[in-house]
Amino acid sequence: MPRVQREANVTWEGNVARGSGAITAGTGAFDELPYSLATRIERADGKTSPEELLAAAHAACFAMSVASELTSAGTPPEHLDITATVTLDQVEDGSHRIVSSELLARARVTGIDAAGFERLAQAASEGCTLSKLIEASAKVTVNARLEGGTDGD
Amino acid sequence: MATDRKAEVTWQGDLMSGNGSIDPVTSGAIGGLEVSWPARAEEPGGKTSPEELIAAAHATCFSMALSHGLAQAGHPPEELKTSATVTFQPGEGITKIALDVAGRVPGIDAGAFQQAADGAKQNCPVSKALTGVPEISLTARLES
Repeated sequence: MPRVQREANVTWEGNVARGSGAITAGTGAFDELPYSLATRIERADGKTSPEELLAAAHAACFAMSVASELTSAGTPPEHLDITATVTLDQVEDGSHRIVSSELLARARVTGIDAAGFERLAQAASEGCTLSKLIEASAKVTVNARLEGGTDGD
Repeated sequence: MATDRKAEVTWQGDLMSGNGSIDPVTSGAIGGLEVSWPARAEEPGGKTSPEELIAAAHATCFSMALSHGLAQAGHPPEELKTSATVTFQPGEGITKIALDVAGRVPGIDAGAFQQAADGAKQNCPVSKALTGVPEISLTARLES
């Protein structure tokens, strides 16, 4: 398959403590999203951040991997709910590091048991390009839960 | 103090013909973004993808780190324009991230700006989280 390029553009004005920036997606999917230091490390206050964008990327990547694993196993999902929670923390030398990304997969699938789904979710994380990258420097955890098909969501 | 940011994706169907929606996220700033495999690996058709979100995460993180480094060196920037381009090879993964920054920074020379940009590329938390990417390149230039 040919390689794919995706681009984002950011404008930043001022110093880090009081300045602010705006993020625009090359595809046009989002445009001029504001961000700042205060909303990155304290209350989000409606503004996204590098870590939130990373969480969104990781969740989307993992969702596709889980869908792929389930389909390969002959049990394509009816519905998947995937969350990624990325934690930024101050480490010993005072700098900030992304220390973990916690993945949770909840699925409505027929024909698979809980243990089988858990195995597939682990394999899906191993096959997700972002899990592999993040694991080089931070902890990636995978939790998987099958949900009944009767709750109607 | 640790800061958590969470994103949820709902996905329906198999990989090739299914589709997902990124919603909600902690801040609410990017709710309702759609994703699909064809839009990720072929023509985007206005849809974002994990790689575009990584480009956005890296460009934002780099810009903040650079503004911090410049201010610490006594040259807070008036404006930084950063782009990040992520290359994705289906079946292989993310093979390259290209950062490009143009800065309007009073009182600094090109060498010192390049040095500050190199530092931001090394030290921003997203760079550190993506050290496994085979190649991260950087071009930096001053604008008057």
